[in-house]
Amino acid sequence: MAEIIIEPLSRVEGEGGITIRTDGQKVKEVHFDILEGTRLIETLVIGKTPEEDVSITCRICAICTISHRYAALRGLEKALGIEVPPKAQALRTLMHLGELLESNSLHVFLLALPDFVGYPNAIAMAEKYGDDVLKALALKKYANRIMAVTSGRMIHGENPTVGGFGRYPDVQNLLDIKKQSEAMLPVADRAVELLAGISIPDFFESETVFMCCEPDAKEYGLVGDRIRISTGEVIPVEQYKELTNEKFVGHSAAKHCLFRGKPYTVGAIARMNNLGERMGGHAAKLFKKQWNKRWLVNPVFNNMAQAIEMVWALEQVPKIVDTILQYKEDPEIVKPTRTSGEGVGAVEAPRGVLYHWYRIQDGLVAAANLIIPTGQSLEDIEKYLRKAVEALLSRGADDQSIRMQSEIIARAYDPCISCATHLVKIEREIK
Amino acid sequence: MEKKKFDVGLYGFTGCNGDQLTIIHSEDKLLDFFGSANIKTFSLAKSDNDDSALDIAFIEGSISNQEQAEHVKEIRERSRFLVALGNCACNGGIQAMELGREGWDHRFQQVYGDAFLDNRTPIESKPIDMFVKVDFYMTGCPIDADQFLYCYGHFLRNELPVMPDYPVCAECRWKENECLLLKGILCVGPLTNAGCGARCPSHRLPCLGCWGVVNEANVAAEFDLLKEKGFTADDIKRRFRIHTGSGIMKPLKDILGVV
Repeated sequence: MAEIIIEPLSRVEGEGGITIRTDGQKVKEVHFDILEGTRLIETLVIGKTPEEDVSITCRICAICTISHRYAALRGLEKALGIEVPPKAQALRTLMHLGELLESNSLHVFLLALPDFVGYPNAIAMAEKYGDDVLKALALKKYANRIMAVTSGRMIHGENPTVGGFGRYPDVQNLLDIKKQSEAMLPVADRAVELLAGISIPDFFESETVFMCCEPDAKEYGLVGDRIRISTGEVIPVEQYKELTNEKFVGHSAAKHCLFRGKPYTVGAIARMNNLGERMGGHAAKLFKKQWNKRWLVNPVFNNMAQAIEMVWALEQVPKIVDTILQYKEDPEIVKPTRTSGEGVGAVEAPRGVLYHWYRIQDGLVAAANLIIPTGQSLEDIEKYLRKAVEALLSRGADDQSIRMQSEIIARAYDPCISCATHLVKIEREIK
Repeated sequence: MEKKKFDVGLYGFTGCNGDQLTIIHSEDKLLDFFGSANIKTFSLAKSDNDDSALDIAFIEGSISNQEQAEHVKEIRERSRFLVALGNCACNGGIQAMELGREGWDHRFQQVYGDAFLDNRTPIESKPIDMFVKVDFYMTGCPIDADQFLYCYGHFLRNELPVMPDYPVCAECRWKENECLLLKGILCVGPLTNAGCGARCPSHRLPCLGCWGVVNEANVAAEFDLLKEKGFTADDIKRRFRIHTGSGIMKPLKDILGVV
């Protein structure tokens, strides 16, 4: 029996690896290993105030920090009977767009593209694609600025708090962000162009289920209290357990997610497959040109989905800045209307649906359950890895190309291992 | 003659990757950063990493299993100068907020049950100086990009940078913020190392202590002050412990007899 171990899987966020065990032409096992150290975050938020919870849970992950904060705020505010004013809501939308732009640009340009153009990293890639790398860094910087201006810091900014914001950004900063969005559009466009020139292997294609938040307005978006499934169903987020853990309900250790016993995929590709038709503007044109039915069966198109999503996000920024500026008064932080209650908040983190459920008792967190996008996609990552390895073995591929293709598939999911860790148990059989 | 470039490695243990990401976020200077030294290992950013001898090792994250403990010792052995990068490496981070108390086994079981990865032996999360000698501490959750580059420039010249050794209240005063303690808000600024620019109080929000406990912090005085303001010992202790890990253990034990 032969074994290929890729550890650590580089250019992903956190410590992970892939283990493939084969016997001749047969695949014995394929595991996407989560090797990151344990933090036991869910146990640490118990007994904390809602504000403290937000400061803790955002630190699950540096890349998805705003999504964690946002999901926590939505869950906690439901539990506490808080409704934030429209200006706070609009500023939250802007901070969330900033994170999406930052995360997608980091992944598309710096983590994923080097594989396809044959370099070990983006810095080396700069020798041939110097202009593109510099522009990508400029886009990332712009996205970071949005996060710094809205949340107070690039990473783990504490400004978005329970009931609103500590302080609203000044008008000039918001106008600068609005103005710059236009200059950044060609960079996102270039990402689409670069990815469009790459042929995506098809030997592991197979059907799956896609899930994403259903925005309240019938448009493309990143937040909602219902989940849209590619089967056509729309299910309230309160049923998050059935949506994610159906096979293992009540068993807190087993955190590979399944929907009705089947693997599913979340993230940009799920959002595009489920909601892409709803986009307008330049993003809609790109979507029409690039989308095809292979997106429904091949996760590597997630890279392109992320690129088109950057165009969409950049087109949203001016509109949302205008919305924020339309409210002249900065609203005060809204106080809780009750001290006990339950609530589940869901947002689209860059990598897909993120749920934060809380029970608050006498003003302190009594119970918490956080369900993370990468954990939800894990079964599908392994499914596609297995299919790829099977196909490659039957063609007599060598270890090096199995390794390369496996990394491309796993990396296309943009796995966020820091996030996934405290929720995922990997069962490995040793033979 | 051109000076030989330093060999530098960046490693991430348990945490959110926010410190390595802060470096990646210094976009304008990132290519210079990669050009200024031989970056031998930077797993978050590149895939052709190696494990050779290093002039400087930057370590992010806390140690939360035996394998990481071995790995950090191995890095120490081949590194001339070792820097703890960020609050998790320096103090243990949020995952060390219960450090020194009973109950880790029980909490681990609550999350993972009885089974776990067969190739990892989990332990309670601890800062790296509980395993290896640390030559320099750069705190923050996450670290500040400018402060990192300032320190890094010094290291490349074999010099030690001067770091703020006063509470964040100084930075808060420079910004002319209204003191939140005077308004009866539970702010741990007086205990917390400066360096962030008093970001949270500048947003009218209390400092939560994410830059760790400042040297010579007067923990007892802050404790008494907050009690006078009407906060309970539990409230105060809970807030002190969130981001301070190993840094607050001894002072709390001195004041309360327990951590």
